Amino acid sequence: MEQDAQLVQRCLQGDGSAWEELVRRHTRRVYNVCYRFVGNRTEAEDISQEVFLRVYRTLASYRSAHGGFATWMTSVTRNLLIDHYRRTKRDRITDSLDDAMPVVETKESVARRPDEQALLGELSGQVQAGLTRLSPELREAVVLRDLQQLEYAEIQQVLGVPEGTVKSRINRGRIELARILQQMGVRPS
Amino acid sequence: MTWTCDQTEARLSDYLEGLLQGAERAEFEAHVHECAECGPLVESVRSLMSQMQAAEPLDVPPQLIRKILDQTLGPREHETFWQRLKNFAAGLATPRFAYGAASVMATLFILVSASGVSWRKPKLADLSPSTVMNNVSRGAHRSYAHAVKYVSDLRVVYEIQSRLRQDENQLQPVPEETAPKSNQNKPNSNDDHSRTQPKQQNRANELARQVEMLAAEFPVVMERSYR
Repeated sequence: MEQDAQLVQRCLQGDGSAWEELVRRHTRRVYNVCYRFVGNRTEAEDISQEVFLRVYRTLASYRSAHGGFATWMTSVTRNLLIDHYRRTKRDRITDSLDDAMPVVETKESVARRPDEQALLGELSGQVQAGLTRLSPELREAVVLRDLQQLEYAEIQQVLGVPEGTVKSRINRGRIELARILQQMGVRPS
Repeated sequence: MTWTCDQTEARLSDYLEGLLQGAERAEFEAHVHECAECGPLVESVRSLMSQMQAAEPLDVPPQLIRKILDQTLGPREHETFWQRLKNFAAGLATPRFAYGAASVMATLFILVSASGVSWRKPKLADLSPSTVMNNVSRGAHRSYAHAVKYVSDLRVVYEIQSRLRQDENQLQPVPEETAPKSNQNKPNSNDDHSRTQPKQQNRANELARQVEMLAAEFPVVMERSYR
């Protein structure tokens, strides 16, 4: 299988099929990071498209010496997610209402029991809702560590902060999330 | 030094990821065991972590990749049409399709040739139904005639050869028997001949009669021949 770096080189030389291969390889990861962060499929799709558009336009600026292509893509994804969060913060006038009522993303995941959901590999709608209540810094740390299973070193590259900060944010994010779920009335399974 | 709740919170992830060792770990566990706040917190965070880590990645929504490619590769529509055409043509380069196509072409060629359309000077009149019918029937008759002539030629040659070979050894040349017609003119001699003549003579008569029969077919074939 061709390395990402080689595909990037071919893309820069105008090979459309190399770009297509890159897209196919990385869409799943990008989409998952977006969805876990925003908790909404439509928004996650829109942001994923923006990510690839940005990557396509700035492909020449990718330097393999600075890390893997996947890490670079995750970094671009994270930046756009933060931008999106700041843009939509103004629109979130119903924050106080959201605090009172748990936001339910998917009816299916709520209808199933937590142990059933765990068996199916689904994240419960409540946990997803809880995630979207975390502050962006804590949210991205928890998503990258616990949902995307990235190593500390990679998260450090994506967020551009020291490893100590990464660990601290992950820790605080987890505790905060547990407290939010407790407030929502979700009992740990 | 007493372990505080703040410390517990600060080291919670380290503890759950197994990074606390020795004395630190013991103090942590001791505090958690006693503290009404920290105990449940540690358990809920532990459960939350295992839940999140067990979650499967979501599938990519259908059409997302296509949308991304359309947006980035831009006016791909023209290219994809030709690419699609190329792929289609490439897909046709299979032996099965080639044989099928070849046989269809051959059939069409045969039909067109049979219809009598001239390749050098094609005329629209050639395609009129009556012309086509005439050409086809003429062609069919001609082919039939050729076939009959060929088969007849074969038969005559074969028959003559086989009879001659068969009776060569046994037959003695009897000149008067080669013309059975002349024999019939003498009514008495007919009966006498058929009864008293030896076997070889009968065979000669038989052969002569058969040769005459075969020879009689020549005029028929000649009538039918267009050559």
